[in-house]
Amino acid sequence: MENPLSEARQHSQTIIEERGKRIKLAAEIGLARSSSGRHWARALRRRLYRKPPQREYIVKNPTPLLKKEVPLVAEVVADVAEEKEEIEDKVKALQRLVPGGEEMEVDRLFEETADYIEALREQVGVMRALACILDGMESRDGDKL
Amino acid sequence: MDRDLFSHIDTDLNSISYLSLNYDHFDSALSSIVSSPSAAPTPPGPNDSLVLRELIGRLGTICNNKSASVGAVDHSANTSCYSTPLSSPPKSSLHPLPNMNPNPNPMPFAPDPGFADRAARMPCFGGGPHMAMSGQLSRVSSSQSLMDAGMTGGVQLEGELPVRENGSGGRGANNGRKRKAGVKGKGKEASLASSGTVNSKISEEDQSAKRCRPDCKAGEKKGGTEEKNGNCSENNNGDRENKNDSDSNNANAKPVEPPKDYIHVRARRGQATDSHSLAERVRREKISERMKLLQDLVPGCNKVTGKAVMLDEIINYVQSLQRQVEFLSMKLATVNTPSDVNMDNLLQKDMPQACSGSMQQPLYRSAFSYPNQPQVAPLNSLLATNSIPNLGMQPSSNLPFDGFGNANPQIGGFWEDDLQSVVQMGFGQNQEAALSSQSFQGSGPSSSDMKIEL
Repeated sequence: MENPLSEARQHSQTIIEERGKRIKLAAEIGLARSSSGRHWARALRRRLYRKPPQREYIVKNPTPLLKKEVPLVAEVVADVAEEKEEIEDKVKALQRLVPGGEEMEVDRLFEETADYIEALREQVGVMRALACILDGMESRDGDKL
Repeated sequence: MDRDLFSHIDTDLNSISYLSLNYDHFDSALSSIVSSPSAAPTPPGPNDSLVLRELIGRLGTICNNKSASVGAVDHSANTSCYSTPLSSPPKSSLHPLPNMNPNPNPMPFAPDPGFADRAARMPCFGGGPHMAMSGQLSRVSSSQSLMDAGMTGGVQLEGELPVRENGSGGRGANNGRKRKAGVKGKGKEASLASSGTVNSKISEEDQSAKRCRPDCKAGEKKGGTEEKNGNCSENNNGDRENKNDSDSNNANAKPVEPPKDYIHVRARRGQATDSHSLAERVRREKISERMKLLQDLVPGCNKVTGKAVMLDEIINYVQSLQRQVEFLSMKLATVNTPSDVNMDNLLQKDMPQACSGSMQQPLYRSAFSYPNQPQVAPLNSLLATNSIPNLGMQPSSNLPFDGFGNANPQIGGFWEDDLQSVVQMGFGQNQEAALSSQSFQGSGPSSSDMKIEL
């Protein structure tokens, strides 16, 4: 016989997760709408409205930095190629991170990344403020309820 | 649509944050401009003209500097700075030049609106014979134009050959002076001349302007392709002359030839001048300029050099921001708010209000309508104090604060209309009435239940 308490806990945990996902969706929608003129914002909106809300953000890990030794003369060419490839990988990783990045060239990608970073920072600030407010409300009124 | 509402706010916002970043450049640029005449290592003959040209060139970049580092494309306030023929985002050619050496004695310098006009009309900005040589400049991509926002006269730098030729035809004087100076440039000038649009930091312009003159002189001695000679001559004289050309053209109401869709790139000394490599160079310059923009945005990247490391930092930063959003949304989910706060109501995409992404809407509803919430003042202070340190941009009086002291105009501003309606609803109505207008997702009551259980 299952412990009803643990079951309830799981249930509430799921509820919290669900709520979190929905809140995150709202945050992303807000993010996209805040810069609606931008390519990444449009791509983000397309993604959000196309997929079901439970779609998670796929965050890829960037390729690790290659430790560069002092190149010998003969290895210079190989190193250059390696470095180029390494940069290519990183650019690809960035493309995956920024919504709509796959379709862009590098220079445009950087531009979009800059704007995306700005919008993300603002979004984080808003959410932090919101969390603080809600915490304040909760602590203030929690005992009244 | 949202953009329209706060595009000007956005401009302010960006200019606030970046003005502080750029102030050093601005200041030192101005100082260098002012002091450069004394520091110009040129013979007395062409000194004045070159110096003036340099001044114009540098002034042309002050505005571009500010707007370039903003990084945004659509700033209405800044678009007036450019006159790029293409509608694409402002192009800028940046060389990875070292930072400029700050001038020890900054002097106040107000760009004279008529400066460009006067300078342009000076006889030293001739250049007829050079136009023949400039004909060999290889066109690569879209055209460039540098417009000094400080000068209302609108100094326009146009790299088109036809324009130059027209302009030089109109001038004709003082070609001798330019001849001497005009030899192939080191190509730093390219940033100024060529695709140089929104460039850069003024440091690069300074360096390029300073370097080009001695380089051109040195290059004269060596052989070089005619093209390069033509390039340099144009470097020194053509660009500024172009600027003055267009400027004087504008001033004299001469018809300026409509800019073509090319970027004119100077070939550097020792570099190939075929169109592919030039295009490649332009592209690289663009990319490095954008990387610089990103470097300013990403904290702690100032000391980092190298593309790979920078990219790593950028990727990490974007990832961390995304994770923060995720974490905060989870945190907001766990917050045990009073039962009348239904944040996830907003998450209903089919709701027009919800789709505005205003997560704060229910908060405001509840804040206003919550009976036990005596005043909004603590909310104000909370928002103000919390959003100020959290936001990347430091708010100042320019930022519009809504009733909640929300220092985030971009996200907070665009649903001001909603907010007003919310306020009215919240104050005037019963809280249930306000909340019941939204379709309920079902976690409201469960949250209160959850509270009890937990």
